[in-house]
Amino acid sequence: MDHEIDRRTFVGWGAATGALALAGCFGEGGDENGGERNDSDGEGNETDENRDETVDVAPPFPEIEDKPDAVYVPTHRESMRALEPIVAGDYRLAPMLSYPHPFWLVTGDGEDDVQHVTPDQMRGVHMMFTLWDAETGVVLPVDSGNVVRLSRDGERVGSPQSMWPMLSQEMGFHFGDNVPLEEDGTYTVEVELPPLSARTTGDLAGRFAERETATFEFDYDQDFRETVSDVDYFDEGRWGERGALEPMAHDHVPYSRLPEVDAFPGTFLVGTDESGEIREGRPESTAELPRSGDAAFLATVLESDYRLTGGDGRSLLVSPRTPYNRVPLPNMSLDATIERDGESVTAEPVSLEQTIDGEYGLHYGASLEDVDLRAGDTVTLTIRSLPQVARHQGYDTAFLEMPPIELRVPEDSDDAE
Amino acid sequence: MTLPDRSALSRRDYLRALVAVGGASALSACLSENDDEAVDVPSGTDDPDSLPSRQHAWNEFLSRDDDGNVQLPEHHVLVALSLSTEPSDDARAQVEDALRALERAYEWSNEGLVFTIGYTPAYFDRFDGSLPDSVDLPDPEPIVGDADRFDEFDAILHLASDHPEVTLEAEQGLFGERDEFNGRGIETDLTGVFERVDERRRTGFVGAGLPANHTDLDGVPESIPDEAPSLMGFRSGFAESQAPEDRVTIAEGPFAGATTQHVSSMGLNLRQWFEQDSQHQRVQKMFSPEHAEENAVGTTGEKLTTTNGLTDERIAATEADASDRGVVGHAQKAARGREDGKPPLLRRDFSTVDDDRPGIHFLALQEGIEEFVRVRQAMEGTDLDVTNLNNGITGYIFVNRRGNYLVPPRSLRALPPTNPTETE
Repeated sequence: MDHEIDRRTFVGWGAATGALALAGCFGEGGDENGGERNDSDGEGNETDENRDETVDVAPPFPEIEDKPDAVYVPTHRESMRALEPIVAGDYRLAPMLSYPHPFWLVTGDGEDDVQHVTPDQMRGVHMMFTLWDAETGVVLPVDSGNVVRLSRDGERVGSPQSMWPMLSQEMGFHFGDNVPLEEDGTYTVEVELPPLSARTTGDLAGRFAERETATFEFDYDQDFRETVSDVDYFDEGRWGERGALEPMAHDHVPYSRLPEVDAFPGTFLVGTDESGEIREGRPESTAELPRSGDAAFLATVLESDYRLTGGDGRSLLVSPRTPYNRVPLPNMSLDATIERDGESVTAEPVSLEQTIDGEYGLHYGASLEDVDLRAGDTVTLTIRSLPQVARHQGYDTAFLEMPPIELRVPEDSDDAE
Repeated sequence: MTLPDRSALSRRDYLRALVAVGGASALSACLSENDDEAVDVPSGTDDPDSLPSRQHAWNEFLSRDDDGNVQLPEHHVLVALSLSTEPSDDARAQVEDALRALERAYEWSNEGLVFTIGYTPAYFDRFDGSLPDSVDLPDPEPIVGDADRFDEFDAILHLASDHPEVTLEAEQGLFGERDEFNGRGIETDLTGVFERVDERRRTGFVGAGLPANHTDLDGVPESIPDEAPSLMGFRSGFAESQAPEDRVTIAEGPFAGATTQHVSSMGLNLRQWFEQDSQHQRVQKMFSPEHAEENAVGTTGEKLTTTNGLTDERIAATEADASDRGVVGHAQKAARGREDGKPPLLRRDFSTVDDDRPGIHFLALQEGIEEFVRVRQAMEGTDLDVTNLNNGITGYIFVNRRGNYLVPPRSLRALPPTNPTETE
């Protein structure tokens, strides 16, 4: 019976983690589940060479104390197996596999809305895929409702599922989840990709309108487990330091890195520096951009002749990104309020729409056609809902408390063009 | 047909498994299982006129929960039927006699048996004329761009009882595999008029504690609450969130007293739902973020009494919740499909583990299919600024199949023509 397999796996996992003496490795969520699993200890004494082997190679998940409310260096660099990218209509998809590991879900905007997820069981994989546009190489960081179905020897395995949209320092934006696998063997994965739900502009406009399916296979076996669990931990002194790992270098797989500041046109709205003074001049890098919740916000006003403006007037482009690797922060809800001499210039806040452009990637945009924006005006960006995207270690405490950002239209903006 | 392993299952689980397997051997296993505690099933009536004129008039005969909500029977079978002869007066008389035999044998109640027979658009296609304008029964279509398959057989029999052996016995008796219904001899059955489409047969269950019996299956986590009445863990069918039977009944025309029925069959991802999301997140996604904030639901919905707690304000806040919180509730979204504040659908859905996989057979009655489509589109929420897995439960359900049916009034339930006034 399947039930028996489950129980043995739980027991095996408990035993192995005990042997590795990983204090606190399960976090809050794991304690709860771990309790239930231990209930079956008394009757589940079967030993099984293969299962023990599996759990023995699972790396530990040490917890970091005193994590900053910011992007920080995780305990280790992930090890993973990258599979060949696949063509599916306008989409390109690169699957990657690692061992099951913890991550954090973000659902909503409150304290209760971050959930630490620990693997159901160590037998299985952490399955990921990066999705991008073949023509421009732009990574497509919005979840339109992907559906993943697994099978082995023609038999379906598990329930269908949607993969979580996720951020990791090495992988950038990707889709992923822990997927339990009971048996070794060759698995076939079918990924159904619905039409892209976000607004698209530039070379992406009018594309990704068809439902596409990508299929790939992988072998789950001891060789795989040993390969992906060969993990080097950083010196403990570095854990939790502010900073981020370099993106992983994969041939043929783009990383979701947004263009640097100097690639963006228009008049940049300026923020204040640490002492509260208005920063002079145009920021030269992402590091100089104003931040909220450690996310860097690029905000620029595009003139009416620029292709992204669409309408007759000017437009506002906001490009929030991770502070080191410039990964776009999707699934936010953003408003802009514009004030002059303490009075609001618009009747309602200006609501920005999530957009993916062939050149500037994911950003949030709004027309300023009806807004008479002038030098010296204050533009306040309000983050109505924070990035609804799951996080790997190192991003789990950032982009959660996101206060409004006050920006200024620079004095020399009228002749900046 | 392989019977489930009795020694590996609890009694309730075993009975459910027998319903899912079906067939004569399953029934005899079911009956022998009950030797110790012989089930006393109340018999029905010899006076057909004492029964309601609508097939879907179940509510006043069904039991109520502690809050006064109608309690559906616990065990359900949807028997897919294909005509094996053309509709004729003889065939009609045979179908009517066969169904009356069920009504004589079993009380119209949870303890006995309630049932309906509904007909697909494909069934009506064989007639020259078309259905009257008062009947809104289009061919099923993908509603949200989902690549669905459709029920294109002729009819479906929905059998429901608190006793699994009653649903089995009724089905088998109708197809010549049993001699008796509840101890009464069977004179007429459906053989020769209908044959079963076995691969489309569906089964399921609803009721506190039933879903937690299936944690032996791969896709049903141990963490499902013991008292959960449905596989997603929560109660539904609150009196104030359901359309009354009158509301879903076709009022005029030759099919006055009929209703339309939609059945969607879908798989569920319960691993993410129970093993990854927190209860707080589940409540947000099933009901609304405000339900979660106010702790208004409880473990399985026990804090909700006769309503899902969706005020006009909470329904109107759906769009703002998407923008301000990044998550919206399923019930909140679907309620946007209400008309004048009133729910248009009467849900009689149930959980399933057909093929050993968790799922839902979402059965809803409404006056016209257009109303189902409207609610379903509202539930999809493609207009909302929210990511897939935060968009209610749409990221957790995977629709496999849809079917639309006309459930005629009892007087027309036996092979109805497209326009009864012309032919009768």
